[in-house]
Amino acid sequence: MKLINEKIELEVCKTLEVLDEIKPLEVQHIFRVKLMQRIDVDLKQKSSNRVVSRFDYRLAYMVLLLIINLGSAFVSLRQNADQSMKNIVQLADIQSDDYPAQEFAYYDQTTSYEHRLP
Amino acid sequence: MFRSLVAEHQEMVLNTCYRFVFNRQDAEDLAQEVFVEVFRSLGQFREESKLSTWIYRIAVTKSLDHLRRLNRKKRFSSLKRVIGLADTADDIAAPSKNNPAEELAGNERLTVLQNALDTLPESQKIAFLLSKQDGYSNQEIADILETSVSAVESLVHRAKKNLHNKLYAYYKHH
Repeated sequence: MKLINEKIELEVCKTLEVLDEIKPLEVQHIFRVKLMQRIDVDLKQKSSNRVVSRFDYRLAYMVLLLIINLGSAFVSLRQNADQSMKNIVQLADIQSDDYPAQEFAYYDQTTSYEHRLP
Repeated sequence: MFRSLVAEHQEMVLNTCYRFVFNRQDAEDLAQEVFVEVFRSLGQFREESKLSTWIYRIAVTKSLDHLRRLNRKKRFSSLKRVIGLADTADDIAAPSKNNPAEELAGNERLTVLQNALDTLPESQKIAFLLSKQDGYSNQEIADILETSVSAVESLVHRAKKNLHNKLYAYYKHH
């Protein structure tokens, strides 16, 4: 039993020693070159993102202005259309009701008599 | 300025990452990520701690994130294996053969150690691994962990005890 325990303890010690035996890594020259390349890419990406976001902001502003313009144009057009429709209706009334009063109904009737004649 | 900062700290950052991941390639990738992060956030550094402490804290955080990702991937691939969707391409790449630590101690012993380390509470793991690296004083580890020196000593002590128990249990059954 004692022997087994000693054997296990030895294995444990050997395994823990692995950490002490790890030699420190030396940094290769290429490490810094790669890092600088990566940072360059990161910087470019950042600046392009900034341009895109600025462009987005401008685009959104332009779209907003366009919507406001179109909206105001639509409202004014509708108002004008209402007004002109009223004018047209009034004009049509005036044109069709040549003799709106009862006293002048005779002329209408005469016209219809004329139509009835063979 | 940034170049000199990299030159000054690259070795420490690389070896800190290496202590956590035990793989040169991963450690180099992580060290690069650390410096990219430093470059991005240098303007936000408030000088509440030393610049070196801030950089090494980033290195520790990145390494732990990497290990968490690996563990998630491991769990997911074992789940896939269980339900019969195993894809060999999804398997975690075994540490490369040119890894000095592996050459020294052998794949199995290192894997056993890594598994035991993975089961430790995070603060114990950080304190223990940093204490094993040359260049970190207990004060520096305390600054990185934002705790006191006595707390670091206690964490390292408990980590050693826990590791011993876990490894003992492992070798008892194998």
